Amino acid sequence: MKKGGGRGLFVGLCVIPTAILFTLFMVVPTLEVFYYSFFGGFNKFNIVNKEFVGFQNYIDLFTKPSIAPKFIGTFQNTILLIVLVTIVTFGFALVYAGILSREKIKGQNFFRIIFYIPNILSVVVISSIFFNVIYDADIGILTSFTNLLGLTVKWKSGNEIVIFSLAIAMVWQAIGYYMVMYMSSMAAISESIYESANLEGAGRIRVFFQITIPLVWTNIRTTLTFFIISTINLSYLFVRAMYGTRAPQSTWVLLYYMYEQTTDYGLAMAIGVITFLFSFLLAGLVNAVTKREVLEV
Amino acid sequence: MKKVLAMILSVLMVASLAAGCGGNDATDEPTTDPDATTDGGETKVEGTIVVKALESAYGADMWKEIKEAFEKAYPGTTVDLECSVTIETTLQNELQAGTYPDVVHLPTSRDPKIPENMISSKQLRDLTPVLDLTNPGEDKKVGEKIIPGFTDTNATNPYGDGKSYLMPMFYSPCGLFYSANLMEEKGWEVPKTWDEMWELGDKAKAEGIYLFTYPTTGYFDAFMFALLSSTDLGIDLYNDVTSFKEGAWDSEEARQVLEIVAKLASYTEPTTTENANNIDFSKNQQLVIDGKAIFCPNGTWLPGEMADSTPEGFVWGMTAIPAVSDSQQPTSFTFLEQIWSPAGAPNPAGADAFIAFMYSDTAADIFAKYGAIQPIPGVSDKLEGDSKTFYSIYDNGATAVMGGFVATTTTDVSTSVEYFDPVNLLVAGELTVDQWLEGIKAANTALGAGVEA
Repeated sequence: MKKGGGRGLFVGLCVIPTAILFTLFMVVPTLEVFYYSFFGGFNKFNIVNKEFVGFQNYIDLFTKPSIAPKFIGTFQNTILLIVLVTIVTFGFALVYAGILSREKIKGQNFFRIIFYIPNILSVVVISSIFFNVIYDADIGILTSFTNLLGLTVKWKSGNEIVIFSLAIAMVWQAIGYYMVMYMSSMAAISESIYESANLEGAGRIRVFFQITIPLVWTNIRTTLTFFIISTINLSYLFVRAMYGTRAPQSTWVLLYYMYEQTTDYGLAMAIGVITFLFSFLLAGLVNAVTKREVLEV
Repeated sequence: MKKVLAMILSVLMVASLAAGCGGNDATDEPTTDPDATTDGGETKVEGTIVVKALESAYGADMWKEIKEAFEKAYPGTTVDLECSVTIETTLQNELQAGTYPDVVHLPTSRDPKIPENMISSKQLRDLTPVLDLTNPGEDKKVGEKIIPGFTDTNATNPYGDGKSYLMPMFYSPCGLFYSANLMEEKGWEVPKTWDEMWELGDKAKAEGIYLFTYPTTGYFDAFMFALLSSTDLGIDLYNDVTSFKEGAWDSEEARQVLEIVAKLASYTEPTTTENANNIDFSKNQQLVIDGKAIFCPNGTWLPGEMADSTPEGFVWGMTAIPAVSDSQQPTSFTFLEQIWSPAGAPNPAGADAFIAFMYSDTAADIFAKYGAIQPIPGVSDKLEGDSKTFYSIYDNGATAVMGGFVATTTTDVSTSVEYFDPVNLLVAGELTVDQWLEGIKAANTALGAGVEA
């Protein structure tokens, strides 16, 4: 009893600093966001005088003519990016991981490093690579290529195109990281399973879809949730790093709209709450939809 | 045991919550009314004066010299100076936390809109008494030294009540910048009217040169203010538009302004929109230097900003914006940098003395040395070179316009998004003048609703 108590005290003391910091910097601010989203009339220069407005901020976001179209537009942009970037990134990451871990290719490690490099670059560097080297109207690689085909594509300002320019940069940035993740879990799949599949006469594609993917499914599920949440953050970072404070309206994403375009704090907090709930909901949804029986290797 | 652990944790949790509240209370403190201490310069100027200054094209050394000169003029004072290009980031956080500086040199019409927000939330201190102060060793009052008219516009008196909440610091005429070399080489005349402008545009297009480019759409405020003041309606249209008067955009003249911008959009260098953001804008300015575009709306800071990539022997030219109406003169908007003091300033007497000192002979000489021109008679005569050409724009018959949009409490609509950003879409051909006008009219009504009567 006495011995156990001493250990409990020790554990308690060890947990306290983290508990305090976590409460102070995570729990309290998060709750405050919820609380202040019900207030109006305060901004960064006047945080003292605020009045309780109930659900007005939320109603404004979806109905007020000066806000609703922009807010719904940013919401659509965010969803488009999440869906597009996730599908493309995961598709490429899985296929590349499958190829690099199953096939015998010269320079396997070289490709592995090449694909992984974007991940160690900061968002600012990636933005500048894309904006100044790839999309630039004068010397950009992609622009030169489209000019060759006789098309004029405005990668940085074309109303319909910019969101895809963003998506390309985000996919490029993320593929390597997820590829390495899947490669490590694919390496754990026992060789004997593949051998028996070979003996049964299964083709490569069939092996990939019926053996590899099901066996790394747990990993895919976890990374999917991570990825969706990080896309919400990353999309803001990319827009901000590429355009500064003057991003074209067709690239506005939820957090950009909240941080750069909303001066009313209550409204911004309401956007924050919606983003928070949205990511939770999406993570839960993805988790539920991807639920499969766990296969043991 | 579990109980003890739970107790410790919950006590700590409550304590941490209380600590959080304590922090909040502290931020309320500096909002006490400071006006009481400003009484015509009788108060003793002492202690530390916290000064935040935006390092614009004039450089940071200028402010260091000012700090030394002030400390010499007022023994016993210390100026705690912070001067940086990114002052807005730190200042914003400090204001948010309730830590107010005494004096801020930061103009309106910049993207973070700090002074505008301070104005609309009534967080600025009335600086009218500063006009009655006299600097040490001088006999003229500050108000008598400033060029008449500079303390009368909404650039310094945001509420239109005759009180100055901001003081005019440096002014610089805005206009269309061009390469004097290119014009000379091709034998082109600088157009005085829009008809001549279109003519030049067609001539240049035949040689593969575009008539127009712009750094970002943010530069269209000064450009359109100049156009708005030179229609048949004169300055009234400009005043109506900037004060968000209902129906300000209903007239045929207002439409003419938009039509000119839209026509100019069709003469704009096509890669302009690609770089019209706060990060790549200098690529657009480079187009003028490289002779790929002729005109670029800008201010006098442009040559300094582009100095690194300007070849030797390049000569900048600047012209006023041609008038919309034949009966009006070409017009140039004057960009005014302001200095102000937050209502929460801890040392108001020191702040007033510091701001008054900006207009002393000593300070004016220091500023002029760095090319920062104050609205004090005679200062612009001391200029040389490029600057002399730029500041002589008004001597050559151009009308000066000053000010800007009045403060409004409407926060969900912004002029930069509704009025000026659409120019990018116009250039890309994705917007018509009618759609643009419709958006502006709606924004005008929304913004007007937030203007204090």
